[in-house]
Amino acid sequence: MSETATGAAGVLAAAGPTANRVSIVMFSGTADKFIPLGVLTQAAAAMEMEVEVFVTGFALHAFTKAHHELPFPAEFAAMAPALAQGMQAAKVAPWEEMLRQAKEMGARVHACSMMSEVMGLKPEDFSDLVDDVVGAATFLERAAGGETFFI
Amino acid sequence: MDTTTAPRTLVDSRGSSCPGPITDLALAYRRSKVGDVIELWATDPGVRPDVQAWAAKTGNEIVSMEDRDGKIVVVLRIAKR
Repeated sequence: MSETATGAAGVLAAAGPTANRVSIVMFSGTADKFIPLGVLTQAAAAMEMEVEVFVTGFALHAFTKAHHELPFPAEFAAMAPALAQGMQAAKVAPWEEMLRQAKEMGARVHACSMMSEVMGLKPEDFSDLVDDVVGAATFLERAAGGETFFI
Repeated sequence: MDTTTAPRTLVDSRGSSCPGPITDLALAYRRSKVGDVIELWATDPGVRPDVQAWAAKTGNEIVSMEDRDGKIVVVLRIAKR
């Protein structure tokens, strides 16, 4: 019995993250979700970790050259003005600025090729925040061995 | 290593909230050499545990951490680059 427990613990330890890397799948397209994206990306870069952001789904529009006002989720819309005011008072940087800072420290941002095509976005439509357009296999290969967050 | 004579960089992150102070610290760290001392000033209370996490992750040493004149003052010695 104790041998089984030790064996299971050993397997768990072996299955844990081994690489000094954080990978973030940014899927959501609402304003609130871009706060943790910016904070986690910048914090991970400051922790001297490799950071890979894979942008897909509704989040893609926020990474285009065209100005895109991010919607707030309907259930929290009433809180949006207070939140914006609080963020300003706490001097929280806008998510683009946090991402730019993280990129200066080595973070990389990839756009999903399949969803780009689905949404009619060409590589030249993306802002300079995006390093390249890749497929899921590339992201999975880069994320392997590290922590992965889905936002 | 004597931290009073080592090259010391002051990083003033007062008024900046997470992850600002840790980023300011990381930027100073990237310009530092082993043996240098970084003194971080911050007002975000998250800095106390976050600096400990940063130091543990990057292999650097916290010489002191105290509350002084309404700010958190952390002195770090760069042990690893």
